[in-house]
Amino acid sequence: MDASLALQYAIIAVAVVVSAWVVVKKQFPGPLRKVRIALALPLLREDHAGWVRRIGRWIAPPGLTANGKACGGCDGCG
Amino acid sequence: MSAAEASTLRLALVGNPNCGKTALFNQLTGSRQKVANYAGVTVERKEGRLHSSASGRSYAVLDLPGAYSLHAASLDEAVTRDVCRGFYPGEPAPDVLVCVVDATNLRLHLRFALEVRELGKPMILAVNMMDAALRRGIAIDLAALERELGVPVVETIAVKHGGARALVERIDAVAAQPHEPRTHLAEGADLHAETRRLLSLAVAMPTRTAKIDDALDRWLLHPVFGLLALIVVMFLIFQAVYAWATPMMDMIEAGTGWLGEQAGGLLPEGPLNSLLVDGIIGGLGGVVVFLPQILILFAFILALEESGYLPRAAFLLDRMMASAGLSGRSFIPLLSSFACAIPGIMATRSIQDPRDRLATILVAPLMTCSARLPVYALLIGAFVPDEKVGIFNQQGLVLFGLYAAGIASALLVSWVMKKWRRDKGEHALLLELPSYRIPHPRDLLIGLYERAMIFLKRVGGIILALTILLWFLLNFPAPPEGAMGPAIDYSFAGRIGHAMAVFFAPLGFNWQICIALIPGLAAREVAVASLATIYALSAADDDAAIQALTPVISDGWSLATALSLLVWFIYAPMCISTLATIKRETNSWKQMGFATFYLFALAYLASLVTYQVAKALGAG
Repeated sequence: MDASLALQYAIIAVAVVVSAWVVVKKQFPGPLRKVRIALALPLLREDHAGWVRRIGRWIAPPGLTANGKACGGCDGCG
Repeated sequence: MSAAEASTLRLALVGNPNCGKTALFNQLTGSRQKVANYAGVTVERKEGRLHSSASGRSYAVLDLPGAYSLHAASLDEAVTRDVCRGFYPGEPAPDVLVCVVDATNLRLHLRFALEVRELGKPMILAVNMMDAALRRGIAIDLAALERELGVPVVETIAVKHGGARALVERIDAVAAQPHEPRTHLAEGADLHAETRRLLSLAVAMPTRTAKIDDALDRWLLHPVFGLLALIVVMFLIFQAVYAWATPMMDMIEAGTGWLGEQAGGLLPEGPLNSLLVDGIIGGLGGVVVFLPQILILFAFILALEESGYLPRAAFLLDRMMASAGLSGRSFIPLLSSFACAIPGIMATRSIQDPRDRLATILVAPLMTCSARLPVYALLIGAFVPDEKVGIFNQQGLVLFGLYAAGIASALLVSWVMKKWRRDKGEHALLLELPSYRIPHPRDLLIGLYERAMIFLKRVGGIILALTILLWFLLNFPAPPEGAMGPAIDYSFAGRIGHAMAVFFAPLGFNWQICIALIPGLAAREVAVASLATIYALSAADDDAAIQALTPVISDGWSLATALSLLVWFIYAPMCISTLATIKRETNSWKQMGFATFYLFALAYLASLVTYQVAKALGAG
């Protein structure tokens, strides 16, 4: 496989992964949040190294707010 | 919260539905907000920023749902009550209440203003639509009103540029020196009596009634002519969707074709070229082309909303809807569902009767949302000749028929549900009929801009993501060495499509259609982009691949298959977001499961019957 083709496949792989993330985030926000919490919690334990806890914080979903973000209109759901 | 945010004064706009709060909110904040002329349009929290150039102060402005009383009788009234009192979870109490009243309907609106005043918070009364009041000869003594109410009173014209300038000045004054209302109701005083007293002191009504309203209502609310007028209006809308959109659609089609050629020429042959040209540009171009039709449809719906005609239509249809287990109040949520079932389902919060509300939620997905339009337009364009039937366009007639089928099905389903629950109760309709207005071009343009942005955001977001995923599924894995069949047969999507085709074969769906149904679950219009991608990739030769999708499917599918697919899209629960909204609004997995099951069963049965009957008649 030449370098040009390898680069094309790499770009496609990134595009596919990002697209899958967008679809899961838009269509299944609740389950995704639960999965992120489940993945982040073990990494956030006090006895872990700082960099592991930083990864945990990065994985953890943002806090829920009761402000206007949850508009529920069709611009936010699809 | 930053110190600046904490010190920002919070204003809340409150008032009866249809008093012009949302238009005033747009005027104050410059925010793009839907403006409508019927009760219950604002069902969600909307916030914007107001910057006063005179004082240099900034304010957070909250647009609250319309309410007739603080003794809440519906969900949206409960939200308004709780926010005003500072009880709403996560919502700081507003510092100043701006109570908006309609100058042409003070008898109703002042009563609510008195209730708001009794909360004891700093308050400004904005007497809106003063221009309309003047035209009708209603004279309002604002100074007397201010003196009697004990709160600052100011006139506004929300739809006129600069019509809220005086209000901003008063807001600045109150912000500099906030104070509670100077007068209060005596213990046990009657709100209606106090309203009458205020009216007698501050308002002089004309002797003549609103002649234009009465003259129009004599015809538009007539049980026979009114219904005829409604049918004619709806019919003309669907004719216009086809007749006016064609030039713009041709331009977009030519533009995407040119873009595909340019992009294809820039990149070397290979998988990335295919992703860009066949997947992204081909797929998205197939969806964007329907934007003009969607905008024309919404231009009409917005104009009807703003003109004040919609509550009349709700009134006209009340008896018919009541016999089908709904109420006239269901009309507006169901009409909103023509845009998208999600805001339609949310708009049911203004329906007070829980049985009516549930019935409306369950049938809202049967209304033809704008995401179905690309699918309908594609199939109609491919199978229905672009000819005239008398003075009417045949394609427009078919589109009208599809919308009518959705409405008829919704009425039938709600009637069955009514019979099922043996509901013989009376569901009275209480509805405010506003004065007729000429729609304001600015609000129409804002509405259309919002609709276009929602559509384009979907194209650039979920639809783009699904198109890329679909292209991947259609191209990977590559066929094995020495494979003889088309490459797509060996791909993930090809295998899924062939497996699904067994189940959908009785409906006349081939494997390409089956593949297109899967991404359509996230966004119905992706079905069109999917078909474009699938046919481009599975074409036998280059000639077929460069042809537009319409002639490909008209050659490749039978009329029976096309009819069956059209019927499928009338009923199928092809939108995960809608189902999630049903779950959220009913707070019940059971209701969501019921909606999914009945819609799917209805779609399968109706498509099966359509296909088999059409085939028997020689269309297969």
